[in-house]
Amino acid sequence: MSGPDGRLSATDTLPGVTKVDSAPPPQANPPVRRGPRRPKGPWSFVVASARMGWRWLTRMKTALIILGILGVITLLATVVPQEPNVAATVADWRSGEAGPGVVVSQVIDLFGLYDAYGSPLFLALLLLLFLSLTACLIPRIRAFARLARRGRPPLSRHLDSHPHHIAMQSPRRPDEVRADVTALLTRRRWRLRAATADGLGHDQVAAEKGIIAREGGSLVFHLSFYLLLVGIVAGQLLQFVGQVGVIEGQSVADTPAAYWNVEAGRWFEFDDHRGFNLQLDEFRVDWVRSLEFAGQPSLFEADVTVTEEDGSVRSDTIAGNVPMVVDDFKVHLLDWGYAPVLQVAVDGEVVWEGTQAAQGTDQGFFRTAIKVPAEDPDIGFQVGVYPYAPDNDDGVPNFTGAPWPDAPVAVVAMYEGDLALTSAQNVNILDTSRMELATTAFVRLGETVEVADGVEVSFPELRTWAGFQVSYRPTVPVLLAGALLLLVGLVPALYAYRRRLWVEVVADGDGGTLVTVAGRTFQRADAFGREFDELAGRIAEVADATPVATPRRHDADDTTATQRAATVSATAAPSGVGTRPDQPTDSASS
Amino acid sequence: MNPELADLSRTLFSPVALGLFLVATLGYLYAMAVTKVAVPATDGGEAADVSGGSSGRTALRIATAAAVLGAIALAAHIVVRGMASGRMPLGNMFEFSTIMALTIVVAGLVVFQWRLHRPEVMGFLLLGTVLTMGAALLVYSEPGPLMPILSTAWRAIHVSAIVFAAGLFTVSFVFASLYLLRDTAERHLRASLPGGSVGAARAVDLGDVDDGLGTVPQRQSPDDDLSALDGQDMDGLEDEVNADYRSRMRAAINPYRLAAGTFVGTSAVAWVFWVTDGPTRFLSVTVTMVAASLVAWWFVPYLPSASTLDAMAYRTIAFAFPIWTFAVISGAIWAEQSWGRYW
Ligand code: HEM
Repeated sequence: MSGPDGRLSATDTLPGVTKVDSAPPPQANPPVRRGPRRPKGPWSFVVASARMGWRWLTRMKTALIILGILGVITLLATVVPQEPNVAATVADWRSGEAGPGVVVSQVIDLFGLYDAYGSPLFLALLLLLFLSLTACLIPRIRAFARLARRGRPPLSRHLDSHPHHIAMQSPRRPDEVRADVTALLTRRRWRLRAATADGLGHDQVAAEKGIIAREGGSLVFHLSFYLLLVGIVAGQLLQFVGQVGVIEGQSVADTPAAYWNVEAGRWFEFDDHRGFNLQLDEFRVDWVRSLEFAGQPSLFEADVTVTEEDGSVRSDTIAGNVPMVVDDFKVHLLDWGYAPVLQVAVDGEVVWEGTQAAQGTDQGFFRTAIKVPAEDPDIGFQVGVYPYAPDNDDGVPNFTGAPWPDAPVAVVAMYEGDLALTSAQNVNILDTSRMELATTAFVRLGETVEVADGVEVSFPELRTWAGFQVSYRPTVPVLLAGALLLLVGLVPALYAYRRRLWVEVVADGDGGTLVTVAGRTFQRADAFGREFDELAGRIAEVADATPVATPRRHDADDTTATQRAATVSATAAPSGVGTRPDQPTDSASS
Repeated sequence: MNPELADLSRTLFSPVALGLFLVATLGYLYAMAVTKVAVPATDGGEAADVSGGSSGRTALRIATAAAVLGAIALAAHIVVRGMASGRMPLGNMFEFSTIMALTIVVAGLVVFQWRLHRPEVMGFLLLGTVLTMGAALLVYSEPGPLMPILSTAWRAIHVSAIVFAAGLFTVSFVFASLYLLRDTAERHLRASLPGGSVGAARAVDLGDVDDGLGTVPQRQSPDDDLSALDGQDMDGLEDEVNADYRSRMRAAINPYRLAAGTFVGTSAVAWVFWVTDGPTRFLSVTVTMVAASLVAWWFVPYLPSASTLDAMAYRTIAFAFPIWTFAVISGAIWAEQSWGRYW
């Protein structure tokens, strides 16, 4: 049965062995087998194409390609401005005012890259990816379930055909050694198949480990993407996001009409609004007061009072990173600006008076507009408030662009003509297309200036406004759960490795035992190399064995390769492998 | 803000840390080059000890000292800069790149040099550190305060995890690039050996797979690299064989194609520099990468075996990937908390 060195030699045969891996192994990439009957008739083309498409779809390579394209799109979306986020920038790119020009812009539009995550290309690829994932996971889960329940490693006929093997000599009897080794492996949670239990003539124990952790981890990891998908899609449908600015001392109600800007999912109903009332009691903002870091805020918070529909009242402070939660709606403080109190008098009579939330600009001023249709012709003012414009030596304001309100100046440009108020307009922007510039002036805080004949503008007070975002995202817990599952699956999927070990005990004829240990891993060869060495040492310990003629690993592999080559060519191997001694992949030790 | 501390932190970064790392790079590369090109140690096996005589050992010692001192200087730079600006030094690209660089050196020293005894890979890890620090200088900004909107616990968690993972990914990038070069050379060499076949790294024997589970085994090199050379009794042949071996390994890779490929590959990302800063910055980035790839090409014969490099790249990615995943998740949590959006 066994060769002189206690191992089975390649040419031995075992009588009555059935559960040994003597069949040729499956190939890594088996050729697609044609079915016995091929469909005939007009449908055959359709059926065949659908089959081919399905096969293509369920390949890992396809998933990787799709994943890669999605990655590229995501990457481009970080460079190309996204319409849902910065619509104004996109408009500038389209018109050629900014960005790479009109032609490039058209190409970008062609691929829908101004709204990358909502583009048909992106959604179609996502759908394909999940189809692919589903098609591939179903068989994987089935196989995993089968393996987890019943999988046991096969016995091995040629222990020295494995990348790791070592022979040892023990003075103890084979059955004692086997019992101790079995106990050791069981303690270390290896799955075992003992040759004796299968009625085989040979005393071999096959063991396997890492099945559940690696494949199970990978499955959990991939399944978590479904949870994420559900969370994202349902979130899109159910969510509500609205932005609104509130001037200090004023309040706003949670009704659709009150928001400046609304982004609501299709399943978000009018009744889902909570109808609370949000009052801005005080808004505090401050900055690093050096011109070098101008604009870096150091303080940003708002005291608010919320009155819910049931009448309960709550006061809270909302800061940049500390939202307030009202009935599952989150209120964030995101924006702010100045709200100048302005007054226009014509011939001593006040024709306009108001406080508007002026919009911040990149140039450091805050823009608003005054529209007085009561005059003939209409008059209008473009107003830019510079919060810090101290007078320089010749008494002219020096417009620093700094945001702190130590020397506020309103620059007003007066226009005459037609305000065109019949069309919808932004309160902060004056439509000057049918107006003529009459004059410009600057008005310091607390001053009244006669800007034109009989027209006076006063700037009695500078107030602030705070911009709130009210959002409702009911699927956050689902997404968190998905993210957690993803991590939980990922770690074992990357670290665990599936490996097999064989221990053979053979009486050496002197009352002692020859112990052969062999091992093979499916992943992470380096980690298994260390584990094998450690395990072999432990086995030697429990068996009181000492290694015999342990060859260096190079030599071992070399002899194995040579020996295998001989075996393969002697047994009519599949074409093309017999002449390649270092190519164990395709050649079975048959 | 404290200008003296800011000055000190700048000095510690460059010339002190950068200079020390340059010395360490050269020392490690020299030590690798004078090390006898024996049959490379096998997958994660014992150390490829520096048997290249005393000059190699001295160079290695100097390089290690320089790397340790440089790491200390860089860590000091980070602390001083944090003191100068009165906050955690994780606020802008310059600070991220600095910590990435520190991660590379520390991971290299602790894991690859001291634990796995692989000083040969340190030369290129230090080269990666120097290049990362050079890139940091391109985006240098004075220490300054941070927007309060940015300062939350989640932000600190998110950013430090991202930067740590990015440093480790740089390590794996170095290993993966070296693997590609080395693997090409090994295939070429094996194909030219008597009885050799093409394919250095490939699937392991699937002989015992019987469960129909579609697992794809990790690639490994089953015949322990150049074991065929073993049979030819390398030990007996001296320098000329080594020289011949080296030139044959280098001949496997066409340096012009390598340079062109590196240029094109780097340009795929570096065009952004052209758009934002003009052609000079674009060219300095791409040309530097091309030069680094040619240095790596020259050192191909001295590198660890392809299967070793593959295993080290896998290890590094397997460690960094979950950290990076966690960092992305924590970023989404942070954004949701701060802005009510996921990013
Ligand atoms: C980014 C992290 C990911 C990693 C590291 C990863 C890794 C893997 C691994 C190791 C396999 C197993 C291959 C095998 O054993 O046959 C696999 C299969 C697969 N994964 Fe992923 N995956 C990732 C993300 C995704 C995502 C996001 C999807 C789709 C939503 C996806 C879809 C697939 C598909 C369709 C397969 C093919 C299954 C098969 O052919 O057996 N993967 N992936």
